[in-house]
Amino acid sequence: MELITKYEPDVERIERFSFSARFAHWGHTVTFLLLLFTGLVLFMDSRWDFLAFIFGGYRGAGLIHRIMAVFYTIIPIVCLVANWRGFVDWWKDVFNFGKNDIKFLLTFPLEFMGFHVNIPPQTKFNGGEKMNSVVTTTSCILIAISGYIMWFPQVFPTVLVRLAYPTHDIFMIIATTMVCMHGYLGSLHPGSGESIWGMWKGTVKSEWAEHHHKAWYDKQMESSQE
Amino acid sequence: MAKMCNLYDATKCSACRGCQVACKNWNQLPAVIEPFKGNYQTHEDTNAETYTIVKFFEYDDVFGVKWYFRKHQCMHCEYPACVEACPRKALYKNEWGAVLKDYQKCVGCQYCVYACPFEIPKYHKGHDIVTKCTMCAERVNEGGIPACAKTCPTGALKFGDRQELLAEARQRVKYLRANGFPNATIYGEHELGGLNNLYILGDVPEKYGLPSNPKVSSIVSAWQNVIQPWFGLLIPLALAGSAASFFTTRFLKAKREQQEGGVTHGTHN
Repeated sequence: MELITKYEPDVERIERFSFSARFAHWGHTVTFLLLLFTGLVLFMDSRWDFLAFIFGGYRGAGLIHRIMAVFYTIIPIVCLVANWRGFVDWWKDVFNFGKNDIKFLLTFPLEFMGFHVNIPPQTKFNGGEKMNSVVTTTSCILIAISGYIMWFPQVFPTVLVRLAYPTHDIFMIIATTMVCMHGYLGSLHPGSGESIWGMWKGTVKSEWAEHHHKAWYDKQMESSQE
Repeated sequence: MAKMCNLYDATKCSACRGCQVACKNWNQLPAVIEPFKGNYQTHEDTNAETYTIVKFFEYDDVFGVKWYFRKHQCMHCEYPACVEACPRKALYKNEWGAVLKDYQKCVGCQYCVYACPFEIPKYHKGHDIVTKCTMCAERVNEGGIPACAKTCPTGALKFGDRQELLAEARQRVKYLRANGFPNATIYGEHELGGLNNLYILGDVPEKYGLPSNPKVSSIVSAWQNVIQPWFGLLIPLALAGSAASFFTTRFLKAKREQQEGGVTHGTHN
């Protein structure tokens, strides 16, 4: 029983994520987690105070929260500019939400628990990943906006400041929930675990790609033969 | 202990600002110098080192200029929004009605600043805490009265039992209405379920810069009563789901492999 799907460099592999996409992903991961753990101090009760102490007390946690907030905003923007093409392709695929994606979402709970199901051919991002893209991106934008409102409350009207607190919290919770699922599915889940190598090394096994993202795999094969 | 509070009579106040000085003196707060703006309003608002100020309001009237004064400080609400909003439970209400703060617990998040319908609590940048009027609880606990009430030379400020003061205020308002203040009113008896700081106003509350119908923003109560205690459960739910899946996937895979007589199905499922 293995924890994470083994990386097999010798088999036939196919490129999945470019460097800038991976940089955006992991930069976002690190900043998000640091923001989460420094921010949870305010959300949880005093039993979670140890989180603050790790970061050097409330002030240290607050400072790291603000520094990370800046990187949290900058990294996606820089990567977006650096890899505009990839960004457009990503969102084109996300909004290309069809019957197969709905079928995927309906059978997903079974697949999630480990039952063998036949998934219809998926594009580069399957139905679940498309949902994750939309939900996470929306959450992150709203978290960032509300966060800056909370950071500079004097600049904004009181109503906005009052709204910013629950907004920041609600979307923190949604984003964290997605992160928990996403992190688990992308690493420890035996079915989709191979995808971690797509994000870490940039390539996935062709066999896995064909099985999990048939539509995308076929398209890639076609264009490589041309 | 009965509810204790300050009764402030705006019609008796001469805006000497003795209360402001006494407050600074007792609480050992340094002077905060603001630039001269050409009027009597030395401080626009309370700040982290100024718990109380006198506000000045000028109105044109057929008989000339009307000049209203009002002492501005924490209202010590019966149902304080700041206490609700505080994520560290640093704010609390004591047995005789003062809204107090345990500064050991305050982390300077400023949630209370924007929850307060009167925008009273203020952030102290240097100490990274939020401060406000304490109704001199430490003096009252020892049998004294707040520094501001103690120093007031005109009798505009009076400290005592809330019920007794209310009775007195009703008498005073009746008198004022009969003697040239037709709009005289008590402020704080019913507002927000009762404030622990009563005002006798010579005119409608708006003219004294007070909302006539103050409300705790529903956003604040929603955050505290629904989102914070319940919504966060989504995260442990996701973690529990993942943990369950961690075992079921492996269990089902092992079972499948057993059925297929040890022939593995590749790494995908």
